Amino acid sequence: MNKEKILRRLVIKAFHIDKVEVGDKNSIDKRMLTIDKEISKNLVKNEELIEDINIKIIKPGQHDIYVNTIMDIIPVSTKVLGKIGEGITHTLTGVYVMLTGADSKGKQMHEFGSSEGILKEQLVLGKAGTPSKDDYIIHFDVTLKPDIPYERKLPLSAFKACDEFIQGIRMALKGLDGRDSTESHEYLDKIRPNSKKVVIVKQIAGQGAMYDNQLFSDEPSGVSGGKSIIDIGNVPMIISPNEYRDGALRAMT
Amino acid sequence: MGIGPSTKETSLHHFRDPLLDVVSGDKDIDLMGIMVVGTPQDNKEKYFVGQRAAAWAEAMRADGVIISVDGWGNSHVDYANTIEEIGKRGIPVVGLSFVGTQAKFVVTNNYMDTIVDFNKSKEGIETQVVGENNVAVLDAKKALAFLKLKMRKEGK
Repeated sequence: MNKEKILRRLVIKAFHIDKVEVGDKNSIDKRMLTIDKEISKNLVKNEELIEDINIKIIKPGQHDIYVNTIMDIIPVSTKVLGKIGEGITHTLTGVYVMLTGADSKGKQMHEFGSSEGILKEQLVLGKAGTPSKDDYIIHFDVTLKPDIPYERKLPLSAFKACDEFIQGIRMALKGLDGRDSTESHEYLDKIRPNSKKVVIVKQIAGQGAMYDNQLFSDEPSGVSGGKSIIDIGNVPMIISPNEYRDGALRAMT
Repeated sequence: MGIGPSTKETSLHHFRDPLLDVVSGDKDIDLMGIMVVGTPQDNKEKYFVGQRAAAWAEAMRADGVIISVDGWGNSHVDYANTIEEIGKRGIPVVGLSFVGTQAKFVVTNNYMDTIVDFNKSKEGIETQVVGENNVAVLDAKKALAFLKLKMRKEGK
């Protein structure tokens, strides 16, 4: 009765990337990530509100560049076994995706203050939510069509295109052998019968364009297949600790 | 004001959230789950979702709640209300919020006596610098320590 009861097990296997380059197709080989150089053209075709997408690789330390407002920083993770919160997830370390966006007249994709400017001044490195100084950043910059009312669908099309881009990398990541991972972490959802019962409440944005969060997408930290907190009426949802740490909550702020 | 660049939590932050790490790693705590609650526009709905969050915590027989908010200003209306609803039900509650010099609470109540301010900027303002005013490990440890004290005091 007093013993811990294990409910579910999640294993996150991290594959470290030392170098990111542009090439003929998405691939991961011996700690090197290659990104398909043609991919942005196809992504533009799929989203009618998008005028252009520019994908650049920012090497560690090369942050003295102008960027549009930072819409999100996204880990590249994918399920290889089970659903979000259980089974096995593969994730990349050493590289993160940074989504930025503005329309072609320069209007920034943010409602309540934006972060456009020189990257090294607009981003604190080494935080839980930001890359460290040694990480690569894949900069995914979206130019949206001008003169469209600022509604949810506008930034959402940028989030969708970026998710589709990441999905291409996820497909390569799925194929890696778990035994080659650089780190492996096991997480257990468990009951501790004799300990204090505590719940963490996270109040998250849920009102409109760039003030939204998505839950329970198909892939960790993904967009596709998820539900917006706005669309479920902002009512409370319970997420297990493992679902949460497996990327069940996707920021759209 | 809703959510600024320095206070927003990125998807990467959610993926490796310090608050979850600290609370789930403490053997004295049985973490039942993470409850996410949104911020509706309408005032009536703001009160409604806050009440539902508190009703959940009560139904779970929570000994304590840590509540964190990723925006400020208008979203402090929701925040204060949810804290009040939880507090009214006799559940010890500790909050985490960006406050600084800029985000003085628009509304407040008796249950908002333990709020950890996670502002990191010198001026205490929304700096528009991504990642600056987010919850870090130390903030999470403080909140958990406060909650433990509060639970003990209230005989939980």
